[in-house]
Amino acid sequence: MKRLVSVALDAAALAGASYADARVTLTSEERISVRTGRVEAVERSESLGIGVRVIANGAWGFASTSTLTDDAIAVCARQAVAIARASAITAAAPVRLAPVGVFNDTWRGPCEVDPFTVPLEEKLALLVAADEGLRTQDVVTVTNASLGFVRVDKVFGSSEGSMIEQSYTESSAGIVAYALGDGEVLPRSYPNSHGGQAVQGGWEAILALDLVGNAPRVAEEAAALVSAMPCPSTQTTVIIDGSQIALQVHESIGHPTELDRVLGDEAAFAGTSFVKLEDLDTLAYGSKHVSVVSDATVRGSLGSFGYDDEGVPAQRDYIIREGLFTGFQSSRESAPAVGRTSNGCARADGWNRIPLVRMTTLSLEPGAWSFDDLIADTDEGIYLETNNSWSIDDRRLNFQFACEIGWEIKGGKLGRMIKNPNYTGITPKFWGSCDAVCSADHWRVWGIPNCGNGEPMQVAHVAHGGTPARFRDVQVGVGR
Amino acid sequence: MRLTDEAARALAARAVSMTAADEAEAYVTSNDAALTRFAGNRIHQNVAEEDTTVSVRAVIGQRTGVAGTNRLDDAALLACCEAAVAAARVAPADDGFPGLPEPAVVEYADRVCPATRAFDAEARARAAASIIEQSSSRGLSAAGTVGRSDYTVAIANSRGVDAAMGVTSLKATVLSSGTDGGNGWASWLGCDASAFAPAALGDEAATIAERSANPGSLDAGVYAVVLAPEAVSDLLDFLGYLGFGAQAVDEKSSFIAGHIGEKLLSERITLTENALGTETVGLTFDFEGSPKRRVPLVEAGVVRGPVTDSYWAAKLGVPNTGHALPAPNPYGPLPLNLELAAGDTRVDEMIAGVKRGLYVTRFHYVNVEDPVRVVLTGMTRDGTFMIEDGRLTKPVKNVRFTQSVVDALNDVEAVGDRRALIGPEEGGANLTPALLIAKWAVTGQTR
Repeated sequence: MKRLVSVALDAAALAGASYADARVTLTSEERISVRTGRVEAVERSESLGIGVRVIANGAWGFASTSTLTDDAIAVCARQAVAIARASAITAAAPVRLAPVGVFNDTWRGPCEVDPFTVPLEEKLALLVAADEGLRTQDVVTVTNASLGFVRVDKVFGSSEGSMIEQSYTESSAGIVAYALGDGEVLPRSYPNSHGGQAVQGGWEAILALDLVGNAPRVAEEAAALVSAMPCPSTQTTVIIDGSQIALQVHESIGHPTELDRVLGDEAAFAGTSFVKLEDLDTLAYGSKHVSVVSDATVRGSLGSFGYDDEGVPAQRDYIIREGLFTGFQSSRESAPAVGRTSNGCARADGWNRIPLVRMTTLSLEPGAWSFDDLIADTDEGIYLETNNSWSIDDRRLNFQFACEIGWEIKGGKLGRMIKNPNYTGITPKFWGSCDAVCSADHWRVWGIPNCGNGEPMQVAHVAHGGTPARFRDVQVGVGR
Repeated sequence: MRLTDEAARALAARAVSMTAADEAEAYVTSNDAALTRFAGNRIHQNVAEEDTTVSVRAVIGQRTGVAGTNRLDDAALLACCEAAVAAARVAPADDGFPGLPEPAVVEYADRVCPATRAFDAEARARAAASIIEQSSSRGLSAAGTVGRSDYTVAIANSRGVDAAMGVTSLKATVLSSGTDGGNGWASWLGCDASAFAPAALGDEAATIAERSANPGSLDAGVYAVVLAPEAVSDLLDFLGYLGFGAQAVDEKSSFIAGHIGEKLLSERITLTENALGTETVGLTFDFEGSPKRRVPLVEAGVVRGPVTDSYWAAKLGVPNTGHALPAPNPYGPLPLNLELAAGDTRVDEMIAGVKRGLYVTRFHYVNVEDPVRVVLTGMTRDGTFMIEDGRLTKPVKNVRFTQSVVDALNDVEAVGDRRALIGPEEGGANLTPALLIAKWAVTGQTR
């Protein structure tokens, strides 16, 4: 792989690039799924190729190919330079990159038991048993149990002299039961919705989830949702579980603080941000209970690496500290706009995509409350668990989330189950209403393997540490 | 380099022949794509990609396994075929699996255009410059894309299916923004790049941006709404995905389950799945190589359908309409080329008929709250206006809706007389007019 990277860098330099980097990436995947007693998917795939990114005439060009002969790579590099020269037709100021050190290094993610060596029969047996455990309630008419594994091996090299080899393994699993009510379908998932939990790690991470042991409980909760009370339409206190907090952080803190988005680079597709450059170190993003850190060094997290896809070392950097907005997530191109160096958030979805500013592990830091004490301290409200739907405006202000399940809180106790709860808010007002965050005992990193952004579409694998937190005066039951 | 139809077909046949199973299917896609992105009135990302992938489905009895690769040397291809067979050997049998589909005559369309294939980096940059000029000359900022897609798909199976087709398309988008809160949007999608007029597209977006400056507030409530084609297309995407696939009908998560043949929508709504139309893009066979059929989904408000593939056709005892996605497919068959029949009302006539309502250019970040009634929530963006006493009066800040599409399409008061092709350039697109809907639930507004 390193030799192929060197071929690309040499060809780019010969063609006139003032800067070049190249990534060779091999991605291997396995996906297995059982749906309502039927094997839905047993699939393995791999993708290998090289992407060459250059600056020529002060503008960007990128070309990529899956043909890995020396000649094809040289053609690809020359194409990248030609594209950069075409970009310069409209370019304004030349591209300027924040400085970064030169690294020759190797990084590997954690993995105790390589999931690709575990026999398919063992994986299928696990899923079939979990699926059977879900099909234990009459009203549960559709079930799904799934496993996914990804292994990435990549080499990054730049014309500045870096050559970095990285590899990591991701494992994910989840189960979901769908109960059929009167004209409604009610999902209940474990350990999270939208495919379950995803981590950097191996088969040991799957076994730790105990999908089979949790399946009957999940089915019972799905069945109970059919006769649960609908969500009242009111303004009230909400306590949100850690997995939904993860998505709340993702949508209303993660995306609006991506510096390329703030600069307008994603305006036409994903949108812009209500956060402005001049908000740095001045904007009250939330209450004093809200501290959020971007950390690509969390071991076993889906958002971790040794170096980002521009060769910038993994870092830990506060985005919000005790409510004050203190930092953007940035890349080498965007960081100079705020007079800083990159904090290592440039990530690409494979060999055929350019790095964009993406989240790493962006987490709400834990507070001091125990969950039981937090419920006991709440006279009236709703406790919400597990995301079901998400939507937010193009400046990341007005959001609306639906959850799979909720419970009334009355007099400091959890009460009746609520189906189809949803809530809405405006980002800074919502985070400003946070008056309690649970402790590290309840804190967990949740993997989100489906963060879409960019054109052509890129799907990033990111993560968020979350713990239950309480918010006051929140509108729930929208459209109910 | 993108494979020719013949080369892709030969590669698919080779993979089938290398697969030691009872039955085998190979899906080859070979892609040469390029996309120029601009923002802040300059090109900031400019990318190109070449890739060819092979996906093999092996069948042993009623057990199936799938493997894919983009490494095309003999050893890698053989390893891929063997991985598919290995997966099939251990997969539990699916009693409902009917075997791979038999060959059927595909109605091919000529969807390769030399002008699009030749639309290189310089042509894309000059098109972007023309779009940008329409905004920059008015003190606005343009962002968007000019993208070219050129791909070939070939499907072969051991029963004799042998389908291959090339498709080219060009898609351009533009968001024009002012410093005073005004935003405007326009898009173009077509097979033939020579029909693309970038300056006109840039002008359309910039004109909306100028008109939407200094937007005001709007209270939540139920409003009449005129939805431009881009907004209607979003609703059709979800309606097709949630409502008109055979799997959703069988699992009773579709609103048409148990109601096929009943009038559930306005008599003004006639919706057809039609990959064979002369105005659309994409393939005319599905990812099993079966011919895509024209499928009536709604006729004057009466629901029909659903679309099927070989598996769901056999399971439900109905014809295969040719709407398989690539295996393995967790969604079941889906319609990818929806056509909403045009009406006879111009958009200005729709607006003239509204006492107090909204005009929506497009939606943003739409998601599902209830799959059965197709209750969606999302935001408006890039040109939302009040309609008062039959006229577009003032722009409003983006609003949130939480609305059942089934209910909305039962409340249609007028259908536009002109249709636009909206959608991703690959896989398919929707051909849709504007709609006037009597009741649309606005549930919030952004700042």
